Amino acid sequence: MVLFLYLGLFTWNIRTGYMDTLASHTGLELTRWMLTPGRWAWSRVSSFWERYVYFVGVRQEAESLRQDLAQTQEELVAAREDAARAKRLEELLAIAPLPGWQKEGARVIANRLGPNAALETFVIDKGRRQGVDMNTPVVAPQGVVGRVLRASLSAATVLMITDPNSRIPVVSQKTRTQGILTGRGAGATLSLRYVSLSAPIEVGELLVTSGFEGIFPQGLPMAKVTLVTRDGASIFLNVQAQALFDPQSLEEVALLKKAEPETPPAEAAVDESLPDASRHLKPGPDKKTEVKRKSKADQDGSRAIDEAKPQKKARGEGQ
Amino acid sequence: MSPARVVFWAIFTVSGVWLQSFMPGLDFFAPGLVLCFQEEDTRAVVALAVLWLLLQEGMGSLAFGTGILWYGILAALFFFGHWLFEAKNFVFMIILGVCLGVMHFALTQIMAQLQDWLVSPGRVMMESLLQAVVFPVQWGLIYIIYSHLEQNGQDV
Repeated sequence: MVLFLYLGLFTWNIRTGYMDTLASHTGLELTRWMLTPGRWAWSRVSSFWERYVYFVGVRQEAESLRQDLAQTQEELVAAREDAARAKRLEELLAIAPLPGWQKEGARVIANRLGPNAALETFVIDKGRRQGVDMNTPVVAPQGVVGRVLRASLSAATVLMITDPNSRIPVVSQKTRTQGILTGRGAGATLSLRYVSLSAPIEVGELLVTSGFEGIFPQGLPMAKVTLVTRDGASIFLNVQAQALFDPQSLEEVALLKKAEPETPPAEAAVDESLPDASRHLKPGPDKKTEVKRKSKADQDGSRAIDEAKPQKKARGEGQ
Repeated sequence: MSPARVVFWAIFTVSGVWLQSFMPGLDFFAPGLVLCFQEEDTRAVVALAVLWLLLQEGMGSLAFGTGILWYGILAALFFFGHWLFEAKNFVFMIILGVCLGVMHFALTQIMAQLQDWLVSPGRVMMESLLQAVVFPVQWGLIYIIYSHLEQNGQDV
């Protein structure tokens, strides 16, 4: 009975995803709020420790200049930290937004978490409230990192391209060879599958997204080819590639979101100048009434032209 | 539940999340659940179990349901072992740790297969070994802290 209930719940969730959404909106959200203050406290403590260590060194060097030097070094340490952060953020900003896409920065707050974290994932501090949804592309200054697997209100789990379950269609930049780029786990190279034996792919070539899957924009750098060999009786080449980013040193990433379609200005102007007449129409008169009204309007029109003529004349006279 | 216990379980939960971020793939709430079975009333056990279940399911990447099996089997093992062993015996905790290690490997493989996903068996095996070692050690530590808390509470 219990097994039946469990299997029912499991399959229902696989079909609808309701329980996953519930878990994301509670568990993932709570995790984010438990981790974020700790990250802040850790950065404060480490900054204080760095300043303290340097302070001790300066005191031994020259007692008389201790105060001034400590202050200067304190500023220097802070400035170095700021400069390093600024450099990272600058690199992130340097990712040119593709036409029709917007980018938004996010911080990595944790890597894989818990016994259920079977896939190569990490957690970021942006979620549905910031417009992040399932399959939102995630990039680093070097290239594509992965895509959003699940999202809560202010956090999201990102599936990295190094995971064996990540399969992305790519094309080589130089020889335009197509294939499916698949991860092989942490620390391992990526594998480019279904490349025909006659394909002219070369070592050192850059693999970029083809955009066929409809998730990633076309032309984003993903990996560099490191090995091309023939594998026994296989009808495909054995192609291996190295991801362009280092999963261990990821601190900030950028999320690519589809931009809202803008209304062309000309079309908007036309829309404004021509109000929707259909909204002001009253329930339709019959054909007879319409003919009568038309003839009356014609009479009124000719009268109006007659009235306008002397006015024009008068205006002309004044000149 | 006394305020001291509430604080204890709150600190335990936050520490658990942090420890899980440092050691991916391991469950640091499982020893807490066993301690709950041993020391707390049913309402507290249910409340904490639901909280930890949602946390594990939310932060994990497998579909909802793995956590229910994980904690369900742990509870079943505990109550089954309770008939055979002294509940607070460290040897019993070592056996539970080994069972959890085996269960981590088996459950991850089965649930990944059900979702048509691939997981690295080598990495999961390493996590299972670590889980088997960490579980009794963590249970011992929190048991000592909890007992100390109880004694201080009685003194007051």
